[in-house]
Amino acid sequence: MSFAQTIVENVLRLAEEKKAKKVRGVVIELGELLLINPEQLEFCFQVASHGTIAEGAELELKFTKPVIECLMCGKKYSEPIAICECGGIIKVEGGKDMLIRRVEMEV
Amino acid sequence: MHRIEVDAEIDLFEVNKRLAAENREFLKKNGVTAINIMGATGSGKTLLIEKTADTLSDGVRMGAILGDVVGKADYERVARHGVKAEAINTGKECHLDAHLIHHAIEKFDDVDLLFMENVGNLICPVDFDLGEDYRVVIVSVTEGDDVVEKHPEIFRLADVIIINKVALADAVEADVDKMISDARRLNARAKVIKMDLKNNTGFDEWIEWLQEVIGGMC
Repeated sequence: MSFAQTIVENVLRLAEEKKAKKVRGVVIELGELLLINPEQLEFCFQVASHGTIAEGAELELKFTKPVIECLMCGKKYSEPIAICECGGIIKVEGGKDMLIRRVEMEV
Repeated sequence: MHRIEVDAEIDLFEVNKRLAAENREFLKKNGVTAINIMGATGSGKTLLIEKTADTLSDGVRMGAILGDVVGKADYERVARHGVKAEAINTGKECHLDAHLIHHAIEKFDDVDLLFMENVGNLICPVDFDLGEDYRVVIVSVTEGDDVVEKHPEIFRLADVIIINKVALADAVEADVDKMISDARRLNARAKVIKMDLKNNTGFDEWIEWLQEVIGGMC
């Protein structure tokens, strides 16, 4: 819920800057490692935007993957693990950010 | 009225990141080692702080910030041990964040070691950097021996993982070795401590680690 509220606050601030009358859509980029359930976020967004000019806006979620690779052999993984098959230490980068990428509005 | 599309790059964690950096700078400037203690309700977070307060020598000045949904129960428990303490009520928010800590840390400029006891759960605190130096996660065998594998992110980012209440493992049919190997599989870097706070199992190992990190910061 706090993520949804933060999204709404930031979207409304941007809409105000642009003197928008209505927000139609919001594109959010979020890291897979945040482990956010899209349905829940969409529902919370509906609740948090209720009664504002962002009410009814379409929320588009784009998940980004972390970069997970072995520091020794360079092998890449899709899931975070602690140790590579070669015994090397794994580096996990990204996958934890949340950004507003685009806002569609009516001015 | 016409439609426009505005491209943006608004980082929703930006405020927290900035405040966490400020907290970290304040703590560093004042020579404070800060430890974020995370774990479920009833896992032993507060008891760990209480016992640590009783064990550390008088030479170590200790402080604690206690995050709770409502009330001051944890604060009162810790303050009774002569520790400089501050309660933070998070209400419906299920984690501490850098902003809440920002207000609270000012009075802790004269301590060597500062515990930040997070709200009791293994999910929400993960994504909120408080400006701490180390992250400690404590779980108990009574949470089920699959608790580690079910919450990978919090364990992946921990510096110390404590498996508490091991004396109760047989009674609740929990496989402690499985919990330890899950922790090591997720995080090869972390120190894993098998503990039972009620009978002091593993407690020395914890104090040794603490003394190492406090020493390292001085």
